[in-house]
Amino acid sequence: MNCEDYRQAIAADPSFDGGAGHLSECAACQTYRNEMIILDQTINRALLLDVPELHVPELPELSTSRPDNVIALRKRSWLPQSSPAWIAIAATVVVAALLSIRLIGTGIEYDSLADEILAHVDHEPFALRVTDETVSDERLAAAVPANVAQLGRSTGLITYAQSCVINGHQVPHLVIQGERGPVTILLMPEEMINAAQQFTGENVNGVILPVGNGSIAILGESEERLDRIKEQVLKSVTWST
Amino acid sequence: MQSSKNAVERRQRFDQYVGVYHQDMYRYAAWLSRDKAIAEDVVQEALLRAWKSLDALREDSSAKQWLLTIVRRENARYFERKRLEAVDIDNLTASQAALLAEQPNEELDDMRQAIYELDDDYREPLVLQVLMGYSTNEIAEQMGLKQGAVLTRLHRARAKLKEQMARQ
Repeated sequence: MNCEDYRQAIAADPSFDGGAGHLSECAACQTYRNEMIILDQTINRALLLDVPELHVPELPELSTSRPDNVIALRKRSWLPQSSPAWIAIAATVVVAALLSIRLIGTGIEYDSLADEILAHVDHEPFALRVTDETVSDERLAAAVPANVAQLGRSTGLITYAQSCVINGHQVPHLVIQGERGPVTILLMPEEMINAAQQFTGENVNGVILPVGNGSIAILGESEERLDRIKEQVLKSVTWST
Repeated sequence: MQSSKNAVERRQRFDQYVGVYHQDMYRYAAWLSRDKAIAEDVVQEALLRAWKSLDALREDSSAKQWLLTIVRRENARYFERKRLEAVDIDNLTASQAALLAEQPNEELDDMRQAIYELDDDYREPLVLQVLMGYSTNEIAEQMGLKQGAVLTRLHRARAKLKEQMARQ
């Protein structure tokens, strides 16, 4: 290590403890190191602003009610219109049982798929980073198992990939970088809908698109133009089943 | 009964995080926005968002980074909403100037002014490293940068501050 390398390292991080060999032989770098440590102490003291008294804002009750600015989607219908009454009753019992299990687990019930998607995205703020770093192939493969869906190359720059639970199903949750910021994509092979459904939330707009026997939700900032993204996502996703 | 117990536990958990990390949240917001009044607004919004999203936080050890990420996003949202113009150092508002008039100490005043004048790209990693104790890896993750870029920014930030302080 020479003087330039050492000084760059110590200026980037004054706690850098490498280069001991060079340091023991170079008085100039010892002086530089001491100067950096003193500089850092001054920086630290300057950054320690006085903090005003904490006023915790009024915290809303976390209920099932929908925010005013969220457009409700039509309730999903799980049964064909012509189903016999006993099927409907049996299905109701099953759905009620499943819902009870979910409520015990999360304590939250959602009015619509869109509401659950909005809440889910809000619960993972760390997913929405502006970045040009893509996720690893291993991470992507774990989030989007081959038996769920195949992703083509035109999906976009995928910067987040996770397997998440939406409406009781494990679904791939991806984030790509749009023109206005990160865009969330949820691949939901088991959420069948009849037609595309637009929805909005706080500073966001989204759409749930019917794709085969499932659907795909795309959600971006309010001013994000989702049309182009819709096109590339639809081109690149194929359900495996 | 169970749900009210859950609500109490949730609130206790929230209060605990806020108690421990409120100062970090405020200082981070203040140095991001360079304005004390905006920092208070940003922290209020961040607390609300954290409250709504609390169930997403699974590990206590991630609480600080999670809260600071929320502050960062709320700050970005604030500036996007307000579409604020770049700060002119010669025409500061009272709330901006308050950031520079903390303690009556000439050396610290000079340093605070020098930090204030750093570009956002240099100031933020410096605050995360020096004040929040982040490693360069963690800063890279928080800012969506490569570690090499973070090291370069930190090196340049200190070089600028050193030069600025030498001029005073």
